[in-house]
Amino acid sequence: MRQRDNPYVIMLRRLFQHRSAQLGMFLLAVLIICAVFAEQIAPYDPIVPLKVGKRREAPCIHLLGCPADKPEHLMGIDGNSRDLFSRIIFGARLSLQIGISTVTFAIIIGGLLGAVAGFIGGWLDDLIMRTLDVLMAFPSLLLAIAIVAVLGPGLINALLAIAIIEIPIFARVVRASVLSVKELDYVMASRAQGASEFRVLFTRIMPNALTPLIVQGTLGIASAILSAAALSFLGLGAEFPTPEWGLMLGEERNSVFNAPFLVFFPGFAIMVTVLSFNLIGDGLRDVLDPRLVHGG
Amino acid sequence: MKRTIYVLLSMFILSSMLLAACGTPATPAPAAPAATEAPAATAAPVATEAPAAPAATEAPAFVGDKLVAPDCNYGGNFKSVEATDQYTVKFSFCAPDPAFLAKIASVEAFDIYSKANLTAIGGDATKMNDAPVGTGPYIVKEWVRGDHITFAPNPTYFGDKVANTTFIMKWNKEAAARLLDLQAGNVSGVAEVTADDLATISADANLTLYPRHVNNFLYLGINNTVAPFDNEMVRQAFAMAINKQKIVDDFYAPGSVPATQFVPPGVKPGFTEGYAGNTYDAVKAKQMLTDAKFDFNKTYTLSYAERTRPYFPQPTKIAQAVQAQLAEIGVKIKLDMQDWAVYLPAARAGKLGLHFLGWSEDFPDATNWYDVFLTGSSPQLGTAYPDIVDLIKKAATLSDSAERQKLYDQVNALYDQHVPMIVIAHGTTNLAFQGGIGNVVLGPYNENFPYMTSADGTVVFSQDGEPVSLMCADETDGSSFRACNQIFSKLYRFDWGTANPVPDLAEKCVGNTDATEWTCTLQKGVTFSDGAAFDANDVVATFSAGLDYKYPLRKGNTGVFQYFKDLFGGKVLNEPAQ
Amino acid sequence: MIQFLVRRLFLVLPVLVGILLVTFIITRLVPGDPCYVMLGERATEASCNEFKSRFGLDKSIPEQFVRYVINIAQGDFGNSLKDRRPITTVIGERLPMTIELTILAMIFSSTFGILLGVFSALNRNSIVDTLTMLGANIGVSMPVFWLGLLLAYLFALVLKGTPFQLPPSGRLSAGMSLIPLTKVWGITDATGIKAFLLAFMSNSAILNGLLTGNYALTLDALKHLILPAVAVGTISLSVIARMTRSALLEVLGQDYIRTARAKGLRYSMVIRKHALRNALIPIVTIIGIQTGGLLSGAVLTETIFSLPGVGSRMVEAILGRDYPVVQGFSVVIALIFVFSNLIVDASYAYLDPRVRVK
Repeated sequence: MRQRDNPYVIMLRRLFQHRSAQLGMFLLAVLIICAVFAEQIAPYDPIVPLKVGKRREAPCIHLLGCPADKPEHLMGIDGNSRDLFSRIIFGARLSLQIGISTVTFAIIIGGLLGAVAGFIGGWLDDLIMRTLDVLMAFPSLLLAIAIVAVLGPGLINALLAIAIIEIPIFARVVRASVLSVKELDYVMASRAQGASEFRVLFTRIMPNALTPLIVQGTLGIASAILSAAALSFLGLGAEFPTPEWGLMLGEERNSVFNAPFLVFFPGFAIMVTVLSFNLIGDGLRDVLDPRLVHGG
Repeated sequence: MKRTIYVLLSMFILSSMLLAACGTPATPAPAAPAATEAPAATAAPVATEAPAAPAATEAPAFVGDKLVAPDCNYGGNFKSVEATDQYTVKFSFCAPDPAFLAKIASVEAFDIYSKANLTAIGGDATKMNDAPVGTGPYIVKEWVRGDHITFAPNPTYFGDKVANTTFIMKWNKEAAARLLDLQAGNVSGVAEVTADDLATISADANLTLYPRHVNNFLYLGINNTVAPFDNEMVRQAFAMAINKQKIVDDFYAPGSVPATQFVPPGVKPGFTEGYAGNTYDAVKAKQMLTDAKFDFNKTYTLSYAERTRPYFPQPTKIAQAVQAQLAEIGVKIKLDMQDWAVYLPAARAGKLGLHFLGWSEDFPDATNWYDVFLTGSSPQLGTAYPDIVDLIKKAATLSDSAERQKLYDQVNALYDQHVPMIVIAHGTTNLAFQGGIGNVVLGPYNENFPYMTSADGTVVFSQDGEPVSLMCADETDGSSFRACNQIFSKLYRFDWGTANPVPDLAEKCVGNTDATEWTCTLQKGVTFSDGAAFDANDVVATFSAGLDYKYPLRKGNTGVFQYFKDLFGGKVLNEPAQ
Repeated sequence: MIQFLVRRLFLVLPVLVGILLVTFIITRLVPGDPCYVMLGERATEASCNEFKSRFGLDKSIPEQFVRYVINIAQGDFGNSLKDRRPITTVIGERLPMTIELTILAMIFSSTFGILLGVFSALNRNSIVDTLTMLGANIGVSMPVFWLGLLLAYLFALVLKGTPFQLPPSGRLSAGMSLIPLTKVWGITDATGIKAFLLAFMSNSAILNGLLTGNYALTLDALKHLILPAVAVGTISLSVIARMTRSALLEVLGQDYIRTARAKGLRYSMVIRKHALRNALIPIVTIIGIQTGGLLSGAVLTETIFSLPGVGSRMVEAILGRDYPVVQGFSVVIALIFVFSNLIVDASYAYLDPRVRVK
């Protein structure tokens, strides 16, 4: 066993060997490519309506027999005369942005709250945790709908609502980590050396929370994307003409019997994206959990 | 100490929860028990409020009720309603109301209720919903909240015999699900067919499509007190910049037409045949804007709510189309979609710039159009135009159609000049029925469900929402109206498939020469579904509830009884001060 | 045990009070006017001022809150602004529907979830295991509204005309009647809690049919619930399967299992008598949490399948600014959530003596 190896490198190597995580990372890579190179990959503009082509026309794939003189639309045309495939590709960019921004916001706020609660303890801990309990006592979607009703419809407000409902989870994770190491020897040692409380908190205690936060964060991205899609489906999130997958499903839900492809592809895209993050999160959890390393 | 507080608090809350369960006001089974199918109607006519009822063997003498306004200065048009004898009711108004017949035939708000029933339930809509009592072709057999209402023929109905044995009204917000139910044969007919499903239905040999022309319009609202729209040239230019035909072609159901003037083609008198003002001319529009020194650099907001109506079938797409058309002449538009609950009050308060709203006709008369929008100043649209206002007010007092049309011709021309708002399109709705359903006659105001025939005698209809309540005097939504139409009758109704008022509960209503008084002779021998006999006091009681805040039997649902205000001068008696 | 429960009950109270306060404030903060929603295009400022004063909405917020709390203490949850029906009645109509859906969904997801989880755990790292877990992962990743729409498409359109056809929406077929039990059994004098219970049972189509012998009704209601239950249950199924697998694996790795096997006990007996029972604890926890979540109203499923349950009414109320419904339902939903968590904790304590001692 090489003593010099950085533990993070070991973790990463294990992650790459984990079967589910491999699939997840592959899917994520595809998504990132779509997101970054959307302009190059998408054949049409996702927002401007097409001049040629009937609304809700079925997919025309040249490889599968569609006549060559008809313009190719891999996933068909949607109800607003736009190419569905292009919208799905641009939707990848939007979904990744949604997931990362909400979770980052939730981790920062939730992490701070949890750290403060765990570190200071006492009545502040009680207050913060009870408030978060109240938040968690509501089914998350209903709470998000209520928040959006207060703030008004729109993607930014929907993201805010989703971030708010994710805060308690991260607060709990950080608080648990803080509590578990607060009284340990190496923290005492640091204090004995004269480090300020602040420094102790950030240099000794917080890094402990890093690994569960990473796992929870990945899973949080998955659920944020699902929640955003649900809100947009109900008409409370992204607005026309944004190429958001949930919105696409919501707009075309009445076409499920006439033009099922308009319902199938956006939902499939959501599923694949969420799946990739879930698989990676699972892999991270397996890899980072010391118990499972040896006997699991 | 903390613990004791918790104990006490928990005891308190838990005990009040228990109290809540026990002390629940006896909630009767929510599925409405059938309005008592009265097999034996009481023979004697309903005694009216004779304080000392003579203990006689024959029926007591009839005492007619009345409601009289103290004067004509309270702000409304209603003056009095009086039961002059057992089967005659006289209405009188402060100013002439030539459209009276059309009004009382139109909306279900003027359903006639039984005075005895109103007294028994205190005029409360929630109680009426549990056991409605009416004179309509059907009675309610059960109302399973959230799912359906079952109607059965009314055995004591005074009109033509009902042609089917059961009528079931269902609802489903999803148009696709309604269509699927229709295709699967689970329902006999559906309402509000979306434009995209029309092709599917036309292609299906088992289904028949029935277009329904209701007079309605979609308009782009402009506030003429806010620059740059205080400039008439700018308003005219905007009117010319919108390609109404293209919008109708792209987004409306077949049968819909673009607007050529203020009112839809069905409003007569009112519509000027062959007239078309402010026709689409993008070049001229741009020129006019330039001449008017319009600021092309500023971005203007166009607000709308994503709420589908027959006159606004695809709100977002239509808004986007208008935005694109205005962009073609160089006007920058930003779309602002709002939630309906926020949007409407904001529009009414004048807080929005350009905005979309619409209107569906309540009763077939020009006064339900011109007088509603063009005769008063409002925060929403700005100041009214005195020349238009004078003409409209004069036309409302006349009874002769030809005379009125002359005045309305002038109004239509002035509308094009002043452009108080830009009317865009008139939308058609479509209903679809199974091929096996016979005798389907749909009019702008009613559907002849009692007389539709089906193979097994059951007709099932699916609409897009649940009725809010069955006391339609205090409702304004079409879902409730459709249900009320089955179980209540009005004094007049519209002949099936038309907008011609014909007598229903009244044998005849006749107006005097200047249409300030209308005398209605009522049908005799009609009984309500609970056996009570119908007479003039029922009519007086119904109208009193709607027209007088202080009437003891006025409760309803929200207590607003909006249609009574709207159709009789804007105000009713004893309205609380604001 | 009692002490444990009572202690947990105390912690519930501040949460409840908090919920009441929060929902009240949120509903009052929400812009938009219920009056305009209800009167539609006909709404005028005058009518709406009148509307507000009639329902006490023009008083100051603290005053409204005090009035509200006093009413709640007397058991009056208020009336819906839409049709002025008592909230308790509306809940009595909507909750049975949601309970039916929850029970069916949980039966589906628990049975198959546990079976799949056990199967995977016992055949660890085999191809079946990997596929099952991947499937479970996919199940958790699927948006429920997408799954519901696809199921509706498959069973209502693709399988139309076959014996597998299922209705795509609604609660009952046309022609099915839901006759209240009071009418069927001829009870005319029920009041208070008895009336409420009878109404509650009448509103559950499945129960109603069974109690009155109208089996066609029960079957029809069940038929309409199959697709929604599968749609919403798939997610729970996946969660339960994963949890079962990991719980069982963890238990199987324990020393006492090895001891039992070393003592010569047959493997199947080991599984049944020792492993499963101990693995059951976290599984029960998960099932309880899922049930609590479903009881709070599967909003998306109810929307797609047009089921008149708690979730859809709640969304309608939020969008229509029907404050009493939002508040009343929030309290009820939160209560359900909190009490189901309590039951889960209690069962946890019952099954695992170590928890009680803490």
